[in-house]
Amino acid sequence: MKNQSATHGKRPYPGALIVVEGIDGSGKSTQLYLLKRWLELGGYRLYFTEWNSSPLVKSATKRGKSQRLLTPTTFSVLHAADLADRVESQILPLLHSGYLVLADRYIYTAFARDVARGCNEEWLRSLYSFAPVPDLAFYFRSPLDIAIGRIVSGRPKLKYYEAGMDLDLHYDRVESFRLFQGMIMEQYERMVDRDKFVVMNGTLPLNELQEQTRDVVRSRINLEEFLPQR
Amino acid sequence: MNKTTKKSAAADANPFFGFSMPRVDAQGLTGSLIAIEGADGSGRSTQIALLQEWLESNGYAVQLVGLRRSDLLRENIDELLANTAVTRQTLTLMYAADFYDQLERTIIPALRSGLVVLADRYIFTLTARAAVRGVDRKYLDNLYQLALRPDLTFWLTVDPKVAIERELKKASVINYWEAGRDMNLSADLYESFTRYQTLLNREFERLATRYDFLRLDGETPVSAVNRELRRHIGAHLKIRSLRYTPSGALAHLWK
Repeated sequence: MKNQSATHGKRPYPGALIVVEGIDGSGKSTQLYLLKRWLELGGYRLYFTEWNSSPLVKSATKRGKSQRLLTPTTFSVLHAADLADRVESQILPLLHSGYLVLADRYIYTAFARDVARGCNEEWLRSLYSFAPVPDLAFYFRSPLDIAIGRIVSGRPKLKYYEAGMDLDLHYDRVESFRLFQGMIMEQYERMVDRDKFVVMNGTLPLNELQEQTRDVVRSRINLEEFLPQR
Repeated sequence: MNKTTKKSAAADANPFFGFSMPRVDAQGLTGSLIAIEGADGSGRSTQIALLQEWLESNGYAVQLVGLRRSDLLRENIDELLANTAVTRQTLTLMYAADFYDQLERTIIPALRSGLVVLADRYIFTLTARAAVRGVDRKYLDNLYQLALRPDLTFWLTVDPKVAIERELKKASVINYWEAGRDMNLSADLYESFTRYQTLLNREFERLATRYDFLRLDGETPVSAVNRELRRHIGAHLKIRSLRYTPSGALAHLWK
């Protein structure tokens, strides 16, 4: 597969790829949901895809997690396999058919988490080079305490890998989660310029934040092209 | 198990092809990693069974590894292979995850305990299979940068026409993937198999020079190939006596 990450300009397809990134509890999924509703109701050709959702790979990841078989390397390669399946069988064909593709988490999630887990960044970027570069990458930035507060208060139990327990950061799961999310956030911040993130203020009221998100989409993507042909 | 030879100073510095693995201590790997590559029908499995017996008779404990044998993914890959909807990049990465799982959880611990690890195929087969399907070679090099460099890599060569004959004699069916049918090279099974295996051989040629494969002619008698393998492995492990006659259980392999 050709590496497209070098070409940030014209893409070889008429579609457009919009991704959202941010630590857990940053509000990105809520914002993407609202964006998706807006575009759906507007009648645009639209496809939505989530991190770690390929039916072919999911059962492997699930078993690896529940039995704690995953190491930083296999964790990373399996998530790449998941994205590869979605890229090859859905995302790329849809971009070629002129769809707006919305992705809840994308390669930057892998870069942030896996570098935090100790993977070599250069190796990771090459590992994921089969994935098309997004036309628009939103990064929802929230202060660590606010984001963690949202997760810890709303969820009964943090999962082993989610909390970064494999890294032996702390014996307490919530504390480990806090430390791990901090490390991930640091990685996101490092990518802001390099990967041309559009940084959004995750502390704004939801509707205000959504309004800004829609404004960015309108200004960066020619939405007209995604309406059904008359 | 302290009879195994020490690796050279250079190999000790970085036993990996490129980057080291996160959270893996690669110090003190006193065992030896021996990779045996070769197409189906090259006599690979026969030779591995014989080598294991010979090594054990000389007091070396052996750990066998191979493709699709990880606890993590074995079953998932079997499922994927049964489902021809799987695409090349996904399959490439699933095989890579299967490999790394075995590397971290089987190969490295075995080497640390001083065992001889016999790998029934290694990253070279995975690289060749993906490359003939159009996955970028540089991409594949990077993917396997975290792999351990084998102490010895053998390539048992075989002409595809001989290989298919042996495979048909053995099983009387040719597997979909073994014949490269996903590549649509030919509607004819024989043609598809030989063309696919020829493409793979071409990739192997490329890898052979780069990674110093020890090339053995898989069409010569089993005992002759085995003698060559013992000669190289014996020199590496400093085993003095290279004499070997298979036990009754394996005598049928000795042609």
